[in-house]
Amino acid sequence: MNNPYLPYPVRIAEIRVETEDKNLRTFKFEFLNPGDEEKFAYLPGQFAELSVPGQGEIPIGIASSPTEKGFVLFTVNRVGQVSSYMHNMKAGDIMGIRGPLGHPYPLEGLKGKNLVIIAGGFAVTTLRSTITWLLEPSNRPNYGQITFIYGARTPGLLLYKEEWMAWEKRDDINVYVTIDREVPNWNYRVGFVPAVTKEVCPPPENTAALICGPPIMIKFTQPVLEDAGYKPDNIIMSLENRMKCGLGICGRCNVGPEYVCKDGPVFTLAQLNRLPKEY
Amino acid sequence: MPEYLVKESGLKEFFQSLANGRHLLTPQGTGDKCKLEEAGPDKVNLDYSNTHMSPKSAFFPQSENLMAFHNKSDKPNPFVYQDLGDKAQPTVIFGIRPCDARGLSISNRVFQNDRFTDPYWKGKYEQTIKIGLACASPSPQCFCAAMGGSPYGELGLDVLAFKVEGGLGLKPVTAQGEELIKQTNAAQEDLAQEIKKQEAKAIEAQGVGTDLKPIDDKDLMELFQDPHWTATAENCLNCGVCTFFCPTCHCFDIQDEQSEQGGIRMRNWDTCMSWLFTVHGTGHNPRPSKTERVRQRFMHKLKYIPLKQDGIRGCTGCGRCVVMCPVNIDIREVALKMCQPPAQSQA
Repeated sequence: MNNPYLPYPVRIAEIRVETEDKNLRTFKFEFLNPGDEEKFAYLPGQFAELSVPGQGEIPIGIASSPTEKGFVLFTVNRVGQVSSYMHNMKAGDIMGIRGPLGHPYPLEGLKGKNLVIIAGGFAVTTLRSTITWLLEPSNRPNYGQITFIYGARTPGLLLYKEEWMAWEKRDDINVYVTIDREVPNWNYRVGFVPAVTKEVCPPPENTAALICGPPIMIKFTQPVLEDAGYKPDNIIMSLENRMKCGLGICGRCNVGPEYVCKDGPVFTLAQLNRLPKEY
Repeated sequence: MPEYLVKESGLKEFFQSLANGRHLLTPQGTGDKCKLEEAGPDKVNLDYSNTHMSPKSAFFPQSENLMAFHNKSDKPNPFVYQDLGDKAQPTVIFGIRPCDARGLSISNRVFQNDRFTDPYWKGKYEQTIKIGLACASPSPQCFCAAMGGSPYGELGLDVLAFKVEGGLGLKPVTAQGEELIKQTNAAQEDLAQEIKKQEAKAIEAQGVGTDLKPIDDKDLMELFQDPHWTATAENCLNCGVCTFFCPTCHCFDIQDEQSEQGGIRMRNWDTCMSWLFTVHGTGHNPRPSKTERVRQRFMHKLKYIPLKQDGIRGCTGCGRCVVMCPVNIDIREVALKMCQPPAQSQA
């Protein structure tokens, strides 16, 4: 029988330091066993448990897109025991990943719509996956206008610079990158994400918003979207809670009757409005 | 399915045949020493109120090794976790009380949910034939009927046993249960009326209590936001004894342990009464104080599980938490508060 607790063994192919404070590193993993990559078939918005033998597991959103073959990417913030240990691991080291877990963004159901994708800080990970997937030539024609708003405190805290700089040059996505305060040699926007959203977000007709960010950003961006006329059904968010199993069994990540791991992490604002705010 | 009868003189032979090729767990000891254990077929205790602990640990041990790895680079697969597998063996448990069997059935729908199957639970659960023993005279702590169960409930059982004059009656619930009974010295006997009579008497003795339907009818957020929770949680010590004894509490933690040669990954029972249970890496805690944690436990039992399990309540009325709680928090009183309109529940 398939054992959902058992990680697939992977090798760290590459580690990229993402931010100037060195607290965020992107790990590129390659599967050790042939066939495991196919078994790990995922969609943007899902997550996995990164599993370090002897240390434990952490639930992390998948930053790569299923259209990128041969590897999977995870960006890990140094916070606790497992993530700190991972920050001291090296390319070539063996660990495990377990998943994919959770539900993806409902991209299938959003076909034909305009999308505004709003990210703050390092919560941009699964949205990197989403945009990479959307820009794939076989997927892009299925969606309308795509707007990407991404903010961080300083330029050095923005992830995936290569990626968003390349997206900026394209004509099939509008990219607005912003930092909190002015710094020399910064050629993009300055200001908080809610203010930028107010200025650039497309009209709500036939448009859905995907939001991922720190609670404070979500708290102030949500009313901007609602004032602009976005319906709670069309505001889609991804939650985080402490997790262990990722399978809806170990009991700790529930928000009311829903488990963030098994029933989420993606919820619409309409769903969240009917649930306790235990996240 | 027809009922069966084992005469008192044939009980030893009956238990011997249950143990044939299988592990047989039966109630052993009395009072708070009573537990389901493997012992000789002539030592079965049929006069107990309930086992001290629920039978959940037979399927979900308090601590269970899941997988192991080694760190020797000269051997294959260093640093790769290997499944330790489930060492489940064919087992018969005799003497599960109907409240606890109901609890197993509720937990089974968590461990084998709409998306994932827990192989460690499944192996044990499916290799175990569960024979219940009906409660002809429920204890003072019992309130299974109020929670929608019955002292003669069948949910989660393969066979329901009940004492009759001069022997033991058996009512098969599943085909697997009937198959097992046919391998014993039990003989067919029409006891349908006898069960009905006994059940009515037992429920009457227990008293059905207040109808908890208002909890089902109220909106989840109305129950959640009700102001009574602060007062309800006031005495709670967050000790977790309720979750330890509860037949439907299934939460666990996963931990790694390292040695010089490698390590193991295990799971251990956990409790939603603990601050650590939900705290984020950032320090943020969605359930930061005991009020949120106590509310979580009762909302989970009385609202969330019914929403997810076709109305079946997550409390089975076994009464263990009521007896064990050091500060006398009583789930029956909490349920009554949840039934009342907000203005009155604060009292």
